[in-house]
Amino acid sequence: MENRMRDGQSRRKFLLTGAAGLAAASAPAALLSGLAFAEPATAANAHVVAAEAAKKLAVGRSVKLTILEPSGSLGNIKPVADKWTADTGIAVEFVEVPLGEINQKVLLEAVSRSGSFDLALPATFGVPDLAESGILVNLDKYAELHEPPDFQKDVLYTIGDYYKGSLYGYETDGDTYLMFYNKPWLENVDEQKAFADKLGYPLKVPDTWEELDAMMAFFHQPEKNMFGGTLFRTQYFIAWEWWGRFHAKGFYPLADDLTPQINNPAGVAALEELIAASKHQYAGAKSNGLFENFEAYGQGTAFANIGWGGTQKYLNSEKSKLKGKLAFGLMPGGKAGGELLRAPYFNWGWNYVVSSVSHEPEIGYLFSLYATSPAMSTIAVRDVDGYFDPFRGVHYEDPQIREVYTPEFLEVHKVSMQNSIPDFYMKGQGEYFDELRVNLTAADAGTKTAKQALDDTAHSWERITRRVGARSQKVQWAFLKSNYPEAIRGRLK
Amino acid sequence: MFEQPASPSLVSRSWGFRLRLPFNVALVLPAQLIILAVALAPAVIVVWLALTDWQPTDAIPWYQAETVWFWNFYDLWYDERFVNAVLRTFFVVGVCVAVELVLALGLALLFLEDWRWKKIAVSVIILPMMIIPVDAANAFFMLFNEHGPINHLVSLALGHPFEFSWLSHPTWAMVPIMLCEIWQWTPLMFLLVLTGLIALPQNQIRAAVMLGASPPRIFFKLVLPLLLPVLGVAVLIRCIETFKIFDPVYMLTRGQPGGATETISMYMYNGAFVYFRMGYIAAAALIVLILVVATCLGLAKSVQQHG
Repeated sequence: MENRMRDGQSRRKFLLTGAAGLAAASAPAALLSGLAFAEPATAANAHVVAAEAAKKLAVGRSVKLTILEPSGSLGNIKPVADKWTADTGIAVEFVEVPLGEINQKVLLEAVSRSGSFDLALPATFGVPDLAESGILVNLDKYAELHEPPDFQKDVLYTIGDYYKGSLYGYETDGDTYLMFYNKPWLENVDEQKAFADKLGYPLKVPDTWEELDAMMAFFHQPEKNMFGGTLFRTQYFIAWEWWGRFHAKGFYPLADDLTPQINNPAGVAALEELIAASKHQYAGAKSNGLFENFEAYGQGTAFANIGWGGTQKYLNSEKSKLKGKLAFGLMPGGKAGGELLRAPYFNWGWNYVVSSVSHEPEIGYLFSLYATSPAMSTIAVRDVDGYFDPFRGVHYEDPQIREVYTPEFLEVHKVSMQNSIPDFYMKGQGEYFDELRVNLTAADAGTKTAKQALDDTAHSWERITRRVGARSQKVQWAFLKSNYPEAIRGRLK
Repeated sequence: MFEQPASPSLVSRSWGFRLRLPFNVALVLPAQLIILAVALAPAVIVVWLALTDWQPTDAIPWYQAETVWFWNFYDLWYDERFVNAVLRTFFVVGVCVAVELVLALGLALLFLEDWRWKKIAVSVIILPMMIIPVDAANAFFMLFNEHGPINHLVSLALGHPFEFSWLSHPTWAMVPIMLCEIWQWTPLMFLLVLTGLIALPQNQIRAAVMLGASPPRIFFKLVLPLLLPVLGVAVLIRCIETFKIFDPVYMLTRGQPGGATETISMYMYNGAFVYFRMGYIAAAALIVLILVVATCLGLAKSVQQHG
């Protein structure tokens, strides 16, 4: 449960305080053990502490770490790995795999146990399955030894690092879902008047899905090459928007006994609204993937888009006609109990994890600590072409990062990160979401009604839960629920 | 003097087993045993897995998996996606093989007589089946893309822009997939039918011509019945192959939208290699195996009856 997150941290704090006290009382020992003991280990010097510890572990040996990384992330990781090698003498080599296949590759390692990599960067939502497969090292013991007490303090989202209360990885990408709006359209006085006359409330960054849907309908005039939005309608992405719409209606996806709530009237209404909003998207919404979405919205012919920091990196580049012409917003909320309920959503992310087949698990852990430390992660996030987004408070103050993302975007991104609901970190997440995606797409394509689609999904979910093991799932679900942001937790049923 | 032979009892003891086997059986037995092991071991493992819930994510070896007996089969019975994938695959097999057969028969009749560029034309016609299936599928993906040549041609014909998402339409998405399959594998059917036509006994046909039978009558009353065994074998081969259709589905739609193009191989690929539900998919594989064997036996019986 939450033992590692709460008790564990205080236990570590106690150990580290004790170690610091011991070091202070024993000068020769402090001299021998280097910087880690010369000054207290903190998040600020975590990279130094990690590098020193790794150097000690590798002394007299030739050690090389192999990292399995998703394609496109090398720009983020390599500058950090080069510094690590310079600081520790430990070489790093990379094995790149397609972005959508990395979790599969890590799972295959659980079967083959070939030892072909020491660390990996799987998508955060896959960590529970990987942890259950036994391929991930439970990092609690290494964290107790090496993690500075305040290491996670300015990390804005840490839920995905834990499974059933134990640490399995360190988040390295702030993938919270955000809204992008066409600012010239939003601030056009004529449009503002026409909209207010028609709808009876002002045209502004929408607070609710209802307002957003109305705005997309208002702007959608395909004959004039103007579209309401470029929101995803492809199977892989569609579930995330529905997830946001559903939570905004005030419900958890599962009851405490794991009965699916997704097919309740709120879930059906959320899907019907999503389907209605599909009419106001550009033509490619049903077929285009991530990068096509960037390009389509970058044309400047649509009002709204949904995406991550990576979307902003593209839209703030010279490739986009909307550079400097964007307004940003949190994912819209809904009215639950008559009051606005916002449920920003962290739905992707990448975690540094250590392979249980690695010959150097502790050094692997230390690399994770090093790479996600404030100093090193800032270097990683700065990369213009990579897709690691800010996830630590310190990132939001870095001038280079502010230039890459723009201060306006970062302001919204930070709030969203701080208040994000977690992704569905359950064993079998892929299967649960696959069923959801297939059925939502079927409903959006018109081959099922919203109710049918969600009923079918709920039945599949029950079967998945029964097969995966209801008792074990209940433990994780209780843990996950307890980690929803406090402000939202109290308002969800 | 003759040398004293070795003790007869020793001979019979060391060679006894081999001597009892007929020579021809002894020759093929090792190979048969190896083949049996290669085929039998995976089959036994599949049957075992079908009775378990094993997933690599369970962190236990497959042979220690907990048995769930027939729960997988029960779940599959109520698994709408599985049932639809099976039915859809039968539909694809029916449509593709029927179209291939008609096209192949027509082409083979054209190529029965000698004409000037016949050899070059045959080479051109069989080219598609030389292409790696995944490449062929990729070509069709580009052809049917929203901004691809097909929509462009339709736009030219209509005189106004035509943007249709072939691959994300729940009804039409199957069309490019089936076209790809038909385009690539009609040549194989063509070769099989052409070979059958060439091998037909010419005397009966000549006699029919001499007696003044019309070409359609000769075709339907004489050629087609004589050709039926060959057609049966060709259809059987293509049915088995088409049932495994994967590359075009994977490359064009991956079973989307909403499972509208999910064939049984795509369903099993997702289950086994994306979500690692080995036990469940082993049960699905067994059901599919039984269905395919039953269908093929039915076809084979019909071929035998006409042979």
